[in-house]
Amino acid sequence: MEEIVMKGKTGRYSLIASIVSSIVIVVVFLALALLKNSGRANPLYTDVDIMAGMIFVFILSMIVSASVWPGIIEKRLK
Amino acid sequence: MKETIGIFGMTCMHCHKRVTDAISKVKGVKSVDVSLENKSATVEFEDGVTNLNAIKQAVTDAGYEAGEKTFAEPDQEAQQSVQVCPVLIEDDKGTVQKPAAKQGSGAATTISLKISGMTCAACAANIEKILKKNKGVESVAVNFSLAKAHVEYDPSLVSVADMIAAIEGIGYTASRKVDKKESEDRERKAREDEIKKQRINLIIAVVLGIPISFGDMANAFPNLLWFVPSFLTNDKLLFVLTTIVMIFPGRQFFVGTYKGLKHGVTDMNLLIATGTGAAYAVSVAATFLDMGPGYMHTYYDTAALLIAFIVLGRYLEATTKGKTSEAIRKLMGLQAKTARIIVNGVEKEVPVEDVAVGDIVVMRPGEKLPVDGVVTEGLSAVDEAMITGESIPVEKNPGDTVIGSTINKSGSFRFRATKVGSDTALAQIIELVENAQTSKAPIQKIADVVAGHFILAVHVLSLLAFFFWFFIGFEMFGVGGSEMFAGISPFLFALLISITVLVISCPCAVGLATPAAIMVGTGKGAENGILIKGGESLEMAHKINTIVFDKTGTLTRGEPQLTDVIQTAKHSEEEVLRMAAIAEKGSEHPLGEAIVKGAAARNINVPDAESFKAIPGHGVEAGFGGKRILLGTRRLMADNGIDVTHLNASMEKMENEGKTAMLIGVDKEAIGIVAVADTLKEHSKDAVDRLHKMGIEVVMITGDNARTASAIAKQVGIDRVLAEVLPEDKASEIKKLQAEGKIVAMVGDGINDAPALTQSDVGIAMGAGTDVAMESAGIVLIKNDLLDVVASIRLSRLTMNKIKQNLFWAFGYNSIGIPLAAGILYPFYHTIIITPALAAAFMAMSSVSVTANSLLMKRSRIK
Repeated sequence: MEEIVMKGKTGRYSLIASIVSSIVIVVVFLALALLKNSGRANPLYTDVDIMAGMIFVFILSMIVSASVWPGIIEKRLK
Repeated sequence: MKETIGIFGMTCMHCHKRVTDAISKVKGVKSVDVSLENKSATVEFEDGVTNLNAIKQAVTDAGYEAGEKTFAEPDQEAQQSVQVCPVLIEDDKGTVQKPAAKQGSGAATTISLKISGMTCAACAANIEKILKKNKGVESVAVNFSLAKAHVEYDPSLVSVADMIAAIEGIGYTASRKVDKKESEDRERKAREDEIKKQRINLIIAVVLGIPISFGDMANAFPNLLWFVPSFLTNDKLLFVLTTIVMIFPGRQFFVGTYKGLKHGVTDMNLLIATGTGAAYAVSVAATFLDMGPGYMHTYYDTAALLIAFIVLGRYLEATTKGKTSEAIRKLMGLQAKTARIIVNGVEKEVPVEDVAVGDIVVMRPGEKLPVDGVVTEGLSAVDEAMITGESIPVEKNPGDTVIGSTINKSGSFRFRATKVGSDTALAQIIELVENAQTSKAPIQKIADVVAGHFILAVHVLSLLAFFFWFFIGFEMFGVGGSEMFAGISPFLFALLISITVLVISCPCAVGLATPAAIMVGTGKGAENGILIKGGESLEMAHKINTIVFDKTGTLTRGEPQLTDVIQTAKHSEEEVLRMAAIAEKGSEHPLGEAIVKGAAARNINVPDAESFKAIPGHGVEAGFGGKRILLGTRRLMADNGIDVTHLNASMEKMENEGKTAMLIGVDKEAIGIVAVADTLKEHSKDAVDRLHKMGIEVVMITGDNARTASAIAKQVGIDRVLAEVLPEDKASEIKKLQAEGKIVAMVGDGINDAPALTQSDVGIAMGAGTDVAMESAGIVLIKNDLLDVVASIRLSRLTMNKIKQNLFWAFGYNSIGIPLAAGILYPFYHTIIITPALAAAFMAMSSVSVTANSLLMKRSRIK
């Protein structure tokens, strides 16, 4: 029973951790993009670049995070 | 209504409760009484609301077997399941857990499971990981090429049902390997289905991919591709065609990714799905939305060609994968399908499965022997080449053993079946080869670690490459102003690079490098009568620098033979041998038998002696034609007053050569000497010479005295002799050699060799040896030929070279391919060297080349 509860917790915590870390990476991406655009007469990145980039970065970050976090959380819970 | 049903598979009170709960939950059940002892459940239920089938289904769903109530023992399979608690407890997500109450008995057992749904080496790593998480699983080896898992587990801690559920829990399917023939048929069908499926996918992808590529490229380079019809450049048409490619040949990657992600595992499909999905999504957006400058171009060709190349790779992989396990299929093909046995005095043809131990089997010329047995009547020559590799048919007389699957050449005979089904020599060889092919060599550990983390690492690299080219590289290297990418947006360029990194990476090549070579290597060994029990022995055999041969029965024939006859001036050689043979004719001593056989071989007529007396420790005394013949030691002659001084020199010479020399006295005169010795096998010297040429030190170990041992060693050319070693000390002698820093192989055949075979780094058992020796060895030579020792080392070296080549290629390919895909050369050439479509082609070829390189081993000679 304990094992089942732990498994459920691991899944839930991993999902939250993956979403949070992916959002952090996307925010970093957004911040860097805005920083590079600021102070330029002709912005380097269009809004489409930034939006599409954020989506792509989020997807890749989620894949990476979802692979990394379950192992870390399982170790912590044990 | 009240009924009693049989319940099989319950082992404990936990099972009892689970069955009770399962039945109680069925609507209409009034009461239930489950008996663990009687393996039954008495259920009272409302007829019309529910029925017996619904109750039985509830029991089955709970993980047990329900059937008719019987007081007889259930069948063997059910008996087995009684030992193992098959309870599966599922959490709210359907995850399978073990009940905590079970305790291990420590007795490990092994099982082979057939796995379906693996697409790459990462899948094999995922399955190994999930199985190892089960308490009670001691070791797992998943072979992607064979689609099999070999698991060593403690049945008191984990059941087969648990393991199957765990595998199915991460999106693959698993089943017990049942009957070999059936399993083989299923495997062949699955392989044929996979080839057919990928062929259809490939045709669709290529037929649509070509116009898509021309159409999309004509948009980018209208002057270069002027011949492309204008309708093909229409983005909406390209969208429709690419969508078909994505839905049909491309669907497998997305479905595979979805299944994997649902169960928390990543595999090759994810890399491909991310790559093609991104290219497709960007193109669709560019087709239907106005995304501004830099987004006019579509990448339908990238998505379509990616899929086409990867499907091509999967098609080629499916066709070549089957060839690596050809050896097993060849061995299975040797089995006879029917047998003619005597039933109530009449010959009857029956399927080979129906032959039982003790049945009398009738054989006619040209027929294949169905099972193993002992000849009871008749004479024939049997071709045993398929099992022993011996090309000359072997004569069979009553009392001789015969092996199933060999071919009766000349005569008719009958034999009594002694081993049938899975006990036959061929069935055991198949089992051994199969286990070896599923086993792992230690060198594979590195590849497994890499393949297990590969997908994650590639996604991290892809993300890093995207960040670099988006924020730094695009501006730093003026990509937007370059001739090739004029006007491209930073996002699209970084995306292209990112996709290329994802697509070029090939964990399959890394994962296949070792198992593909081991499969071909062990298969080649089996075809040559060399059975290698596992990857570990195969890997270790190429490292050995010292080989220890047991003397008797390994280097020598193990039975004494007449070697010399010395006569005095007044007597002929024939007369001396005849007298010796007459004296020994009544003896059962091996030395005496050797003399009699020697005389018979020289066509000397040996009449029976009139009297015979054995003199223990000295020799024999016989009477013939009024003469007294003495045969034996110097002491025997001295005791009888016979002068042997004129024969002393010859006696000493023969004794120094390790022979047993016996003096022959007739009445009061010594007329000559006969010498007997254990002789070398046909290829012993040749084998030792070849091993020396390979740089291997050869040692002989024997219980014989130093003089005899040295004489044999000298004949065969052995460097070092360990003489007067008691059987129980052979293992410690091997240990001493290992302590000298040597990697030692031991070649032997007897029960007393078993500890030494186990102690050595690689134990090699000769085929004519005992079961114990063969059990203790890592390599078994079916044919009793020492040259096969040389061949097995050659095979090991060849296989290890292939593994190293494969790993070098696989790691090299990824180490060079990924940086190139990440645009490392862009600053120098102002263009990307590898496009996503080219990356897909490289990736597809990478795993095919590893398999093809392993298959090349089939052409190499090991003998």
